[in-house]
Amino acid sequence: SKTVSTILVTGGSSGIGKCIAIECYRQGAFITLVARNEEKLLQAKKEVEKCAINDKQVVLCISVDVSSDYSQVESVIKQAQEKLGPVDMLVNCAGTSMSGKFEEVEVDRFKKLMEVNYLGSVYPTRAVITTMKERRMGRIMFVSSQAGQIGLFGYTAYSPSKFALRGLAESLQMEIKPYNIYVTVAYPPDTDTPGLAEENKTKPLETRLISETSGVCQPEQVAKIVVRDAVQGNFNSSVGPDGYMLSALTCGMSPVTSITEGLQQIVTMGLFRTIALFYLGSFDSIVRRCMIQREQSKAADKRE
Amino acid sequence: SKTVSTILVTGGSSGIGKCIAIECYRQGAFITLVARNEEKLLQAKKEVEKCAINDKQVVLCISVDVSSDYSQVESVIKQAQEKLGPVDMLVNCAGTSMSGKFEEVEVDRFKKLMEVNYLGSVYPTRAVITTMKERRMGRIMFVSSQAGQIGLFGYTAYSPSKFALRGLAESLQMEIKPYNIYVTVAYPPDTDTPGLAEENKTKPLETRLISETSGVCQPEQVAKIVVRDAIVTMGLFRTIALFYLGSFDSIVRRCMIQREQSKAADKRE
Repeated sequence: SKTVSTILVTGGSSGIGKCIAIECYRQGAFITLVARNEEKLLQAKKEVEKCAINDKQVVLCISVDVSSDYSQVESVIKQAQEKLGPVDMLVNCAGTSMSGKFEEVEVDRFKKLMEVNYLGSVYPTRAVITTMKERRMGRIMFVSSQAGQIGLFGYTAYSPSKFALRGLAESLQMEIKPYNIYVTVAYPPDTDTPGLAEENKTKPLETRLISETSGVCQPEQVAKIVVRDAVQGNFNSSVGPDGYMLSALTCGMSPVTSITEGLQQIVTMGLFRTIALFYLGSFDSIVRRCMIQREQSKAADKRE
Repeated sequence: SKTVSTILVTGGSSGIGKCIAIECYRQGAFITLVARNEEKLLQAKKEVEKCAINDKQVVLCISVDVSSDYSQVESVIKQAQEKLGPVDMLVNCAGTSMSGKFEEVEVDRFKKLMEVNYLGSVYPTRAVITTMKERRMGRIMFVSSQAGQIGLFGYTAYSPSKFALRGLAESLQMEIKPYNIYVTVAYPPDTDTPGLAEENKTKPLETRLISETSGVCQPEQVAKIVVRDAIVTMGLFRTIALFYLGSFDSIVRRCMIQREQSKAADKRE
């Protein structure tokens, strides 16, 4: 039986995925990085290798699109398991974000985002689940987003893909809990990554203003919290006090892994819902005012 | 200005969609039924027409797959709006369900379910939204499911598609609220429809046992409740909205300054 943890990280070549890989490597794990771009993978591999704590550790890189074709993903993960042994923890971090008004988003983006963020998590999970069930052990992580807990202005193409991950995680956890496999869903806030920089290019004003109520955090910080929660087997992983409140508020029918967590959710629900209603009110205000503003300036332009 | 409601129901040829169409028709609406199968559409049209309350009412049938190609959906809804006038309420009821263990579900079902249940709601919504925003009125309904509120054993392919509808509805509502368009998300439980019968064929034992804690209800009952919820909540929301209209703050000032600066910058170029 194995003494070393084998971790497979999709989307491991940049952003939160890369930081999760580094965090696990620092704890002595063997890492497989999965992403599409080979150059970025090799770059990330070098960064991860710097954090080795012993000389037996290995970083394997595999280039594949996890959202396009299941049989490809299956064969690639099979190879990885042959080289580094069965996967102890799968980190589904492959994903992309975008923001824009519903009728301005290119129509094919709805499908594309859902494929990358959702199917790109379904396929790797499917590829490792049988082995994990046989071994009666494992961890599966889904990196959702705060946009997977609340739908905000500008995220009509993104939020659904992140909400979908939660539905998948809840159903899956119920199926595999007797097999001692734990699912963790991470809900990071806006995180300072290349992905966010890309998203900011088309971000509507309203989204920007609403996002300002919550800050931007660092991927290293997210990675630490998420890895700790996954190892402990916590279903919900949130970052910061805002994240804590949002997770407690939106816990719905999610499972809990500790009685304390359950008690906290029960006790804080009423208060958090009250606060949430105030936030929602202010978001609606922002949206309405931007709309009025835009129409006044359109009318002014017409008069000229 | 129109006095009659024009309702477009996707998935209107059977199950909950058909019952919603009947419920609206009983209240004098003009209905467009959208589904793939022409025979089922004509069958449903006959059933809906029986419930007419006056002889001006019309049921239009359109056969299209709402999940495959946006431009098809767009053109078909354009036709419908030319015949019956702009859509007052869009009911996104096109969808299918299935249950099975995660590793036993055929791999392509994850994609298929998401396409039908999610994209099949995105595309019609996209096709009506611009007109609704121009008219400053409208209702958009998404038929999710209790499986879109809780992920249960056996629904790893279905729950995500229904959770996704909620994410879409929440984001969309925030964008269109100032335009007086309201979004309703329906969360029906197991409902006695052909869709459920199909789902039961592959339902795992665990799912069956868990579902027994909640009953099966009738689509007519679901339709009544869902239609009422879509129409009735307007007054309260309008009152709250009026409070927002009456106040200024620094965000508004910042928006104004930003726009004037960018207008001035544009002029200089």
